[in-house]
Amino acid sequence: MTYVVTDACINCKYQDCIEVCPVDCFYEGENMIVINTDECIDCGVCEPECPVDAIIPDSDLAAGPWVAINQKYAEMWPNIAEKGTPPADADDWAETKGKLDLLSETPASA
Amino acid sequence: MTIEIIQPDTGFPIPAGVFAQTVTSVQHYTDRLFKFRITRPESFRFRSGEFVMIGLPNAEKPVFRAYSIASPSWDEEIEFYSIKVEDGPLTEHLQKVKVGDTVLMRKKSTGTLVNDALLPGKRLWMFSTGTGIAPFASLIRDPETYEKFEEVILTHTCRDVGELTYGKELVAAVKDDPLCGEFAQGLRLYSTTTREDYPFQGRITDLMASGKVFDDLGLPPITPEIDRGMICGSMAMLRDTKASLEGFGLVEGANNRPDTFVVERAFVD
Repeated sequence: MTYVVTDACINCKYQDCIEVCPVDCFYEGENMIVINTDECIDCGVCEPECPVDAIIPDSDLAAGPWVAINQKYAEMWPNIAEKGTPPADADDWAETKGKLDLLSETPASA
Repeated sequence: MTIEIIQPDTGFPIPAGVFAQTVTSVQHYTDRLFKFRITRPESFRFRSGEFVMIGLPNAEKPVFRAYSIASPSWDEEIEFYSIKVEDGPLTEHLQKVKVGDTVLMRKKSTGTLVNDALLPGKRLWMFSTGTGIAPFASLIRDPETYEKFEEVILTHTCRDVGELTYGKELVAAVKDDPLCGEFAQGLRLYSTTTREDYPFQGRITDLMASGKVFDDLGLPPITPEIDRGMICGSMAMLRDTKASLEGFGLVEGANNRPDTFVVERAFVD
């Protein structure tokens, strides 16, 4: 069991989830954050924190492809344990659906 | 009283970002349950009711598990209440800790069983099974709980009578406590067993459905206008108790959207 981040996060990266994770299992790409599904303890505390409801449990039908996507990028991107500043235009992307095509594989810059 | 701080000498490096603390007391209740207390790092802050990850310095990459902090946020030590699991990756070793041993604790506490996640109300119900009483052991010792709620009802359901001891001793101690006793006049404990004979028996969900728990306590049934709930126990207990509270019209809340009840999902039994 794990939680996963979905494409609602892309270009938003509000990072409220980072503050509450007890195991620091978030990893940061250029325009999205993912969960390391091996490290997530399934506590669910992050889920309601996300202002765009990007985080869902893997028991959710909509989680289907996101488990593999989260794990793939968690292994490529750096860990993020402290909340940074969301992108300046985050609010402009908050309502946009189906953002997967916009996902950048580039890791977050240190 | 001063406590001698013994430097950890475990043979394994203490992982980065982790506190290494010293066990100050251990008390065994049954062959399956025990509590222990550790020193509190000066920089460690938490809200009563939260949980933290703990482990032992017995490997290069130690196993960490989520544990509710059972002591209140003002306490100078940190208390945990634990089950003993044979072959449990952590509890197999944790149950053997002695005073002076080192316990590892990650630096971030979190959780939803906090006063901040509930809307104001008159009566707070804390529903627990087994070691799920731990976060409530913290909250019932925090004066803030009684500033927010006139009445606090802690329900604790276990299989056997011996497993109720921690909760009974705790509530008795709270009533005697110079700091909390005055505040905690409105605190009541409702203990039940599911296997061994005891004056109050049955699952709390069944006792709510039949109305017996309300009759026993002399209270009206739960309503969203007055009552608030917190739930901590096994997965099955969480599911069933959540359904019961929703049946009374309560709605699950969280830190960033407080409502009329909250659930702890990190609990592992």
